[in-house]
Amino acid sequence: MKRFVIIATLLATVLILGACAQPTPEVVEKEVIVTQIVKETVIVEGTPQVVEKKVEVTKIIKEVVTATPVPKEPVVLRYADKAADLGTMDPHFAAATNDRNLVDMIFNALVRYKPGDGTQFEPDLAEEIPEPVIVDGKQVWTFNLRRGVMCHPSEQVPAYELTADDVVFSLKKSANPDTSAYAGDYNGMTVEKVDDYTVKITMEQPISPVLFLPKVADYAGGFIICQKPYEAMGAEEFKTHPVGTGPFMFDSYSPQEKVVLKANDNYFRGRPLLDAVEYRFMPELNSRELGLRSGELDVINGAAEGQWVRRMNQEDGIRVDVYGVGEVATIHFNLTVPPLDDVRVRKAIAYALDRDEFLALFGEPVAANVYSAVPAQFLPGGLTKKEVDELGLEYPLDLDKAKALLAEAGYPDGFSLEVVSSERESYLKNYQSMQAQLAKVGIDIKINTVDHSSMHKLIRQDVNPIVIYVAWRPNADVYLTRFYHSDSIVVTGAKPDTNFSHYTGIDDLIEQARVELDPDKQIELWKQAQIKLLEDMVSYPLQYQNQVTARRDYVDYGHELKSVLALYPQITENTRIVK
Amino acid sequence: MSSKSLGVVEPTFRLRSQKQRVIHTFLRNRTAILGLILTAIILLIAFFADNWFVALPQGKEPTPLLAHYNPLLQDTRNRLSPPDEDHLMGLDSYGRDIWSRIVYGARVSLLVGVSSVAIGGTLGLIMGLLAGYLGGLVENTLMRVVDILMAFPSLIMGLMVLAVLGSGLFNMILAIGIVLSPTFARVAHSATLSVKANEFVEAARAIGASRMRIMRVHLLPNILGEMVVLASIWIATAIRVEANLSFIGLGVSPPTPAWGSMIRDGTSHLFDAPWESLYPGLAILITVLAFNLLGDGLRDILDPRLQR
Repeated sequence: MKRFVIIATLLATVLILGACAQPTPEVVEKEVIVTQIVKETVIVEGTPQVVEKKVEVTKIIKEVVTATPVPKEPVVLRYADKAADLGTMDPHFAAATNDRNLVDMIFNALVRYKPGDGTQFEPDLAEEIPEPVIVDGKQVWTFNLRRGVMCHPSEQVPAYELTADDVVFSLKKSANPDTSAYAGDYNGMTVEKVDDYTVKITMEQPISPVLFLPKVADYAGGFIICQKPYEAMGAEEFKTHPVGTGPFMFDSYSPQEKVVLKANDNYFRGRPLLDAVEYRFMPELNSRELGLRSGELDVINGAAEGQWVRRMNQEDGIRVDVYGVGEVATIHFNLTVPPLDDVRVRKAIAYALDRDEFLALFGEPVAANVYSAVPAQFLPGGLTKKEVDELGLEYPLDLDKAKALLAEAGYPDGFSLEVVSSERESYLKNYQSMQAQLAKVGIDIKINTVDHSSMHKLIRQDVNPIVIYVAWRPNADVYLTRFYHSDSIVVTGAKPDTNFSHYTGIDDLIEQARVELDPDKQIELWKQAQIKLLEDMVSYPLQYQNQVTARRDYVDYGHELKSVLALYPQITENTRIVK
Repeated sequence: MSSKSLGVVEPTFRLRSQKQRVIHTFLRNRTAILGLILTAIILLIAFFADNWFVALPQGKEPTPLLAHYNPLLQDTRNRLSPPDEDHLMGLDSYGRDIWSRIVYGARVSLLVGVSSVAIGGTLGLIMGLLAGYLGGLVENTLMRVVDILMAFPSLIMGLMVLAVLGSGLFNMILAIGIVLSPTFARVAHSATLSVKANEFVEAARAIGASRMRIMRVHLLPNILGEMVVLASIWIATAIRVEANLSFIGLGVSPPTPAWGSMIRDGTSHLFDAPWESLYPGLAILITVLAFNLLGDGLRDILDPRLQR
């Protein structure tokens, strides 16, 4: 019995060790047919000539094989975002940064912002960017679609070629307020199919390319979705099971944990170099940082802090990228609420504030001052420091002037205001700095901190006499329309949006600029509008806050990072891990 | 007729020995002494943070005394500076002096701790006393309510109350008070049940004393000792809950310094400037420890079951 036990134990050990061992390499001989080019001398019309000839020969080659082939490790990029969870992956509703990041990898558009450089357009699903033509006073843009662009396969619908039907369906969906959050951008636009690979877009009112192309670009409503899977699964399911044509396709979603995207083998620009992207939700900066340092994560959302950037750049194997586009923080005054309805009070506040104090909270190179509603550093139509200085509209720090203006307006001892702020640092820092600075002229600001989504809800209900808003908008028209056009006034506007000031003074300039086809005149109109905003001190522009992401040094995005509208480094088919 | 005239010796020696016993027991408990000293230091720090006792009667703005700087004063260009001679505990992410904010923050912590325990204690005492003495339906109803309230962890309960009331200092005190009240109610209830079985209560009832009078004159003084002990221990819990609520942004409004929100402000710079979270964390640790040690000491003296 004892002997049996010993033998059994030995046998089991041998078997276990055998199972654990690497497969033994073996040399085998294989017969293969190869094509060889041979040179032959032939006589042509009496002259010897050397010609090359292709011949097929059979060769025996030796190959090292293992009994069980070792499977190739999939190349997965692990990205950690600061968001707590997914909002939606329907690109026409995606507004939160994390949602925009994901849809950017899944969908394409007719044209796209060049990866890593949001200042240039290039063709995407369209073969080229067309020149518009005027027909009966209307502007017509004709797009020829690439052939062979495949929609991702889904449970309901197998992969199929994207045609004009999908493009027309998608742009009509974007224009429908029931199925898109960006419907307002598509007013006065008609989309028609000419043939399977041609789409005609007609604008009732001709507009400049600067304003037209963002409507069909890879941002917000411009993303093209695939019609058949959308109809097969319905709008609700599409939010968590998106189907597009992009380099990555949806694989799985674990709420509050991650979204996994896998490579689209049939991507029209070639198969991505990554096999998959794991997009993880990690709201805690310290957890993300530890994950990156330990090598469990490859790319993380960083802190908008100069000090953090400097420290992380000193870590071995870690690189921090600071890039545009910079989200602009602006202080909006409600012109209908006393005492802010008095321009002297608003100017007094402007003179009591010091942009550099706000800026110091973020530090170089993360943030920089801005002097107009549209950031001149990123978009045409903004005002530079020099321009506002020459116009005498910089409102430099001058506490005596501020106090004198307050006294003139009947508030020599200041006044009190109550505001709500998001708990996010990009907001709370600015609110608290404003609070401390205005206390010097007797203005007492009480801050009630609420969670980020509650703040967005409350400020749209017009609860704040002063709103600090941090946002990026793709062009000057969108900035000015959404923040200063009377239609966009919160609660009471025709299309309530983010006009927290209740300002109505530049509607004509915004509308004139929108239909101006001469780019120089258009820019001039935008500048005039912003000069008026500063003269009336409707809002006080603070700073733009750049994007900060940190990565392991083996991550190569495949493009240079200058500015990205989707506010992340952009993961494309060229992104790779070089270990 | 006085007792002396009847030749009865007043038991004054018993009273003295009781006091002596109390002092003796307390002095023998070294951890209780430590708790008392620490509590006294914290109270003094909170009291002398600035010269309010001089400035307010004169109608002036108080100026920092133990705190070196105005806790709201921002020096953003030197933010996150490490501790040095000027700033003993360094500067926070807004460039405010951390030592000064901790000193002023002690006021918030003590105010919340004491006030919420006072509210919770009063509520609990009333519920426990009524339930214990009246019995029947009143007892059943009140004690089941207490059971329901006790089913929630203190932080969750505090969050629920603040979700209804909204954030802010007063609401937070009220919320913590409500959170603590069931514990006080339980203790008051059991103490009332035990005291009401005494003959002197029956005697009072026999001579026609009203229910209110019996509760006020005969029951309340006899259960108050236990409640005081409980209060001293639960002040520490109240301070901890306040720090937790401030940490998640539901406490006092910025820029008022509160230890919990100071820790939260520092979490995004834990690796760059650990002092921003470390020192307020230590302040909470020491304060909670002080009240717990003091409470334990008082319990040892006043709880007859623990008397040696």
